[in-house]
Amino acid sequence: MTEASPQPSEKGEKEPRDAAFWAQRIERLEVSDVPEGAANVNVQGRREVGALQGFGKLWQKTYRVSLAGIETTPEEVVRVWKVHFPEFQPPNSRFYPSMAGVAPGEVLFISASVGGMPVYTGVRVIYADNKSYTVMTPEGHPEFGWNTFSAYQDDDGVTVVQIQSLSRANDPIYELGFRIVGSTEQERIWTHVLKSLAAHFGVNEPVILEKVCIDPKVQ
Amino acid sequence: MTERETDGDQTLHGSLHSLRREYEEIRAIRRTRRIEMPEAQVKMNVRKASEKVSIIDVEGELTAFAEDVLMDAYNQASDGHVRAIILNFEGLEYMNSSGIGLLVTLLIRINREKQRLLTYGLSDHYRSIFQITRLDDAIAIHDSEEEAVRAANAM
Repeated sequence: MTEASPQPSEKGEKEPRDAAFWAQRIERLEVSDVPEGAANVNVQGRREVGALQGFGKLWQKTYRVSLAGIETTPEEVVRVWKVHFPEFQPPNSRFYPSMAGVAPGEVLFISASVGGMPVYTGVRVIYADNKSYTVMTPEGHPEFGWNTFSAYQDDDGVTVVQIQSLSRANDPIYELGFRIVGSTEQERIWTHVLKSLAAHFGVNEPVILEKVCIDPKVQ
Repeated sequence: MTERETDGDQTLHGSLHSLRREYEEIRAIRRTRRIEMPEAQVKMNVRKASEKVSIIDVEGELTAFAEDVLMDAYNQASDGHVRAIILNFEGLEYMNSSGIGLLVTLLIRINREKQRLLTYGLSDHYRSIFQITRLDDAIAIHDSEEEAVRAANAM
């Protein structure tokens, strides 16, 4: 459980403990500063879209790695992850955070290559506390949904690092692309990220992936 | 990479029985791998508003750790001929993005059972989160229990 000091709202009511961790609601993404090397394509002016929108099957993919044999905490792992987020990505999936880094409301630009095809897009951090953060996709992204990056301690006191995506393809063309090659490429990317993060802490453990088709219908 | 895939076309064919079986399988996998998550800081009380409408009172924190509690409550609330599930969020104290993910999963299951999901008791803060995540596109939000039950009974 993450702790935060409740702050009084303008109405004088006590703010929920999670209030500081959520991004503000916006109608459309507004980008003022684009980080060096990033392309502001499919980001500016786009509306955010979640796992209930989009076209394809809805998949929940959970990637986990145990940081067995070392002493660390979920908070420390997530702190490092936020600071070094782009460094853990593979060469074909570059992320460009804003100067403020991974924080509620901030946009991360993405330049990626899936199946040899360039993909320029971005995501917005909609939630961030000291044990997790979540990014949400805008219109124009190949997928609609969220990715949550988190860490927790299991019953044995071992810190487990997790990426969980809940998303579906944006449209029929992307759905086809994901079925042919995109899904496998995506799994390689997030597996690479967890392996890199674990290696940063001196751990070499297998990444476990669980895939559940939450909604097999296209819509 | 170790992989386990559950293909919805084959295993999620819509019956409550199969959903319960899937849920138990996932719990068993977690126990086997000793990556069981900590206990949930949430309580859920299930009550009937009518023969076709059940209410789940959510008290505490809606996070990933609440999954078992929420799905148990849904299974209990779905008994009989229930056509609508109402979530009462008056007691909601904390919600993170994983909690939103749980609601999406619940909504899909409810839709598959041809039921409807409604809510009431959301504070301005949590209404805003429903808007950020676009959950308000798919889940009806009402101001009071009376209004939600009336809407559910009218379906």
